This record gives sequence, structure tokens and C-alpha cells, in this order.
Amino acid sequence: MGRLLVVEDSEEDAEAIERALSRTHPLLRLEIVADGKGLVDRLLAADEVPGIILLDLNMPGLGGHSLLQTIRSRPELAEVAVVVFTSSTAPAEVDACYAAGADSYIYKPLNFELFRTVLKGAVDYWQQTRRQPPSGEGSVPPSVK
Amino acid sequence: MVSRDEGGTAGPPVDWPRTLHLLWRAATAEVRDVTGIADQVYGSLLALPGVEAVVGARWDDRGPLYLRRGLRGGGGVATWLPSGERWPGGSACPDTVAADAAPRVRLLDLGAAGTGYPALAGRPLGDAGARWAVECVFPLAVGDNAALWLGLARRPAAEEAEILGERLTQVAEILLAGNERILEIRAHERSRVRDAFLAEASLQMDASLDARETLHRVARLAVPAVAEGCVVHLFGDDGRLVPVATAHVAAPAQAWLTRTAQGDAWMKSVLTSAAEGREGYVLRGEDLAGGPFGPAAAGPGGTVRALSISPLRARGRVLGTLTFLYEGTDTSIGDLRMLDDLAGRAALAIDTTTLYEQRRRHVQMLQRHLLPRALPKVAGVDLSAAYHVGDTSLDVGGDFYDVVVSGDTVALVIGDVCGRGAEAAAFTALARHTLRTLLEDGVAPAAALTRLNRALTGEGASRFVTALVVRLVPADDGWDAEIAGAGHPWPLVRRAGGQVAEMPARGLLLGVVPEAHYEAARFRLAEGDALVLFTDGLTEARSQDGTQFEEQAPAAVGKFAASGEAAAAELVAAVAEFRARGDDDTAVLIARVKGSM
Repeated sequence: MGRLLVVEDSEEDAEAIERALSRTHPLLRLEIVADGKGLVDRLLAADEVPGIILLDLNMPGLGGHSLLQTIRSRPELAEVAVVVFTSSTAPAEVDACYAAGADSYIYKPLNFELFRTVLKGAVDYWQQTRRQPPSGEGSVPPSVK
Repeated sequence: MVSRDEGGTAGPPVDWPRTLHLLWRAATAEVRDVTGIADQVYGSLLALPGVEAVVGARWDDRGPLYLRRGLRGGGGVATWLPSGERWPGGSACPDTVAADAAPRVRLLDLGAAGTGYPALAGRPLGDAGARWAVECVFPLAVGDNAALWLGLARRPAAEEAEILGERLTQVAEILLAGNERILEIRAHERSRVRDAFLAEASLQMDASLDARETLHRVARLAVPAVAEGCVVHLFGDDGRLVPVATAHVAAPAQAWLTRTAQGDAWMKSVLTSAAEGREGYVLRGEDLAGGPFGPAAAGPGGTVRALSISPLRARGRVLGTLTFLYEGTDTSIGDLRMLDDLAGRAALAIDTTTLYEQRRRHVQMLQRHLLPRALPKVAGVDLSAAYHVGDTSLDVGGDFYDVVVSGDTVALVIGDVCGRGAEAAAFTALARHTLRTLLEDGVAPAAALTRLNRALTGEGASRFVTALVVRLVPADDGWDAEIAGAGHPWPLVRRAGGQVAEMPARGLLLGVVPEAHYEAARFRLAEGDALVLFTDGLTEARSQDGTQFEEQAPAAVGKFAASGEAAAAELVAAVAEFRARGDDDTAVLIARVKGSM
């Protein structure tokens, strides 16, 4: 059910995201990269861009802010929803990200179950808003029925 | 559960009791492994004799949630979803069964290519070659319905149809039990998530003493954990609700939400009414009519299906409202009790930070009254003073300074009342104003200290006071200085040439011995000389390694005391930068005789 790209330098956080989404969105095709170096060029060259990019704000090297600005400078990626995922709730940080073109600014809570809930809320919202296409035949249903 | 032997049908015999047992185990014990259960359900039913296809669907009041089809011979299970391609047979769902009723089973004649059954399942069954189907519609919960169809190529015999119907019913009962188990687990998970959310919200509330920042943080934390949007309103001084924090999961919608919260009359009216209640409530459907939310509303609010409003109440006062906007499906972790709990915690945090801010303002005001509003202008002398609060608690410090002009003389005063707080402030005011009155009347420094000591001991002072008074009298090429001290750090003089020396001023602490006697000493301040008075917060400031600033004070005075009006501020800033330990306040008063450096 759509593609989601995670840009996250922390292995621990990346694992938590994968674990959370595999439970809430088992149909989602997930790709995880550890940094934003060369990412925009790769996205532009790819046949299909992800519907959602989940972006960690604090990364070494090309930081989340810079990557956000680079993504938003490319009209070819305008349809990609960029969800900033960070451990700060500081109002100034939120304003800066929205000004730079983030579609969502989501707080990364400490508790895993809350983390999963927050992540699910953000992914659900953008999937419903952007109406991502479903996966093809043979996919696995997310319910017992 | 019914079990019958297979008979007269193609394919290997099915051990139905074992199949049911495995499904039961999967649906209850291994309920989290939903993938395995779905595969098992379709696989088990496809293994029944005569079954060409199995179709399953789930729907709620708004329409289908998904449609699946598995075919004999494998190929996996195809899934259709609302966000994807169109439903192959249209979106018309079967008639539902009451939530507490038993599954409804019937045999359907699909006609050619499923045209005899135009509902959701007809076409996918027909496309799979089924002409007949056994249907089982069953309720999962209120408003949550499901059905399974077994697609058959030929009309089954009555007994055969009965067996298939019984087996579908058995599977439906297992799925119902599995669903109940899932709902229980989800309810338990939501409860744990609610607890975690409230704990994190409390952490956010503790992170700042700024009420607005706190509310922004809480609103951000709640989106999208609780809802897609959040608005906090507080009552302003004019009694009207003012939005102070908004958060929305989507950036563009946040700007709209902020505007709506600010100017929409319907919202203000609803919130004002909600603020009067003791508990929160939810608005949905017709409740939203006439406002900017709900399906009938234009703009981004059209996707909002419900609003919850909780009053912000703390210590018996209503401070405002906490509003959440719900879009999407109803999977919020919040229930009204939790939202009211959150609102209560937020209100308490706001009230506490507001009280803190009020008290901080009072302390600042009191502190200002203990110090001169402005230093007087004295011909021939540059005066500068600075005060640094070392303790960030809300207690008033006891350091004070003053400059008293009487005729052509200038008296410099500095002092320190032991301790902090209201009592220290009272003695500070007494000491400063007693000395000012005496010095205005021309009383000499030593006599002034003697009189103050008598006043303090006469009052039965519970705190001691240190003070230093220097009276400057104009003289040829400078000023004659008369100094008297009462247990106070001795001042430093920076000579015009840059040398720094201490000026002794011996004397007992004030407020301890009633008959204490004070004597004055005299020295001269020439052009360019600077006299630096300070409290022990300067000398006793410690760096990380324990070094006291006292050792560096002469050098710092040498560096900064000739800096004109900024001298005292620069010296205090140097101390503040040096200080790693110690929380004493620091007061500095500098008088520099104008002339050569």
C-alpha cells in the first residue's frame, strides 16, 4: 500500500520505525536510508517516488533541514509528503520546518507504543490525503478476516 | 461445532475438526499474526469440496473497507481497498445482521457472471466461474460487518449446502472470537498508549515555565497521537477566548486552523459554552451544522468528522478550552476521560506558570524598590552600578547600594543583608533608607553606621547586615574620601595609572552588638581614580575548579573600572562568566573621578 522512504541515521530509531510500521501498515513498502547524501538525485532518477518521506531532523552531514530544503526545491517531488519526525516540540523548530516546506511535523515520543500510534496517525493521514494506490495481487491483508 | 465426513466431492478429504482447531488457535492464541490467519481462513475454505472461490468483505456504515478473493489452485489472495481501484462489483454491501444476532447463512443463485447478485461480492465470484454461492453475513461489532462467500460452479445438493453453511458459520464464529480478542488487546494497548501519552504530556508541561510555550508543546505532542488537529484557547483579560496554540498534522491546514480558531464566530460561541461545563463533550454530525467543520463545511474543515472540547479548569477557575479535531477513522487513543485528564493537567500547568510569572514580576518589582531607580548625576564623578541575581529562585536578594547627594558631598553606600526572602527584603529596605536619611542630613559615615546598628539591634533584628559608606567631599584636584565599614568586603581603588589597592574599612557587623562603635578612615581620590564597592557575591564567586574570583578581582577592577558608565556592568558580567558555583547575588557600585586615565 504505497511506498515510504525513511531517512534516519540512528539504527535504533530506524529499527523502531520498521517494527512499528510492519505492525500498523504491513502492506507499506519501506525503504530506509541512513543519510540524505545524493538522495534527491536518486529520487529524481527513479521510476517511482515514494508517497511519503519520513525525515529525521538531526542527522550528521547533510542535516534534515538541508535535505528538506533540497527536496522542496525540486518541483518533480512536489507530490511527496515530507513528514519531519523529531524529538523536539519547540515551537520555533516547528515553524522553521513548516516554513521550509515540511508537510507534517511529528514529535517522536519516548514510549514505543505511543511512537507507533503517532507514526500510524501521520502515515494514515497522508495516505488518505494523497490517496496512494494499493499494492497488487498477492498482498497480505492486515486483518484476521 | 458440527463435524461431518466429506462425501461425493472431488479433492482430498478435509479434516475439518483439525482445520477448525488450527483456526481457533490462530485466532485466539496467535491473534497478532494476522497474516497467517487470513491465509489460513481462505486456504481452509478453498480446500472445501466444490469451492471454486472464496470472497470476503468487511464494511461499516460508510461503505466497504476491503474486499478479498482467493481462488482454487492458489495465486494468493487479491485485495481491493477504498483508496485503490474501483470495487469490481460496485460498492453495494449486503444487508447487515444485528450486532448481537447469529450469522445469516443462505444459498445464492448468482446467475450469469454474478449478475444475479449485484452486491459487492457478485462480480468477483462470477468472474471466478461461480454460479452459486453460500453466503454468511456476520456482525463483528456495532457498525462493523463482515461476510464470507463460497463460490460454487454448480448448485449444491441441499445437504451439501447445509454442510457448507455450517462450516462458514463455524469460521465466522472463530473470526468473531478472534476479533473480540483483537478488540480487547487494542483496548488494552490504547489504555497503555493513553498512559504513555499523559506521562509524556506531563514531561512537556514540566519542560518550560512559559505558559504559551507549554501549550504549544502539548498541542504538538497530541497531534496526531490524539487527533489530526488541536487548538488551545485561553480567556484574555477582557473575558474573551483567545487561541494561544494550534497544531495540525498537515502544515497548510495548520494555518487554516489558526485563522478559524481566531475568527470563527460559531467556534467561539461553542467554545464559550463548553468552557462553562465541568466536563468535556464531543460534537459530531448535526452538532457541527453551521460551523466550519463537518461534511457540509467548505474548505479544509470539510474532512473534520468530530470535535471534542474540554474545559481547562484549575484550582476552581476556568482558564480556557482544549479542542481536538478528528478526521479519518475513529482510532484515536483519546476518550473523554483521558482528554479531560489532559485538560486538567494542562490547566494546572498554565495556572502554575501564570502564578510563577506573577510572583516573578512581584519579586522584580520589590527588588527594584530596594535599589535606586537611577543614580544621581554628580559633577566631576562618573557613577555606575550593576546588580546580578545569582539565585534563580523567586526570593528577593539582600544586596543593596545607594548614592546620596547632600550639598556638594556624595555618599556611596553598599550593603548586604544576610539571607534572602521577604524578611531579608524588609531589613534591606530598613538599612538602605535609614542610611539614606542620615546621610541626607549630613551625618558622617561612621556615625551613620552606629545609628543604623542601634536601629537594627533595637528592632531585635534576626539577621545581620554588612555595609560600607564612603563620603566624598570635593577637594583640589580630586575628592577627599571618608570611609567606614561594618563587616563588609573592603573596596578597591583603581588609580589613574592602573594600580589597584584595597581600602581597609574595619568594623563589626550591624545588628549584632548594640554598643558597637564605628570609626572612619580617610583617603584621597585623584583625577582618573576609581573607587569600586562590591558585595561578597563578587569575591566569593567560584569557578569550576573551586578558585574564587577574589584572586582575580584586582586584575578585573584594573581592566574594567575605567570603562565609564559601563564599568560596573562589565565587571559584574566578568564575574557571572567566571562563576560556575555559588548563587550569591552581586552588587557593584563604582565612582570614578573624571579627568586623566
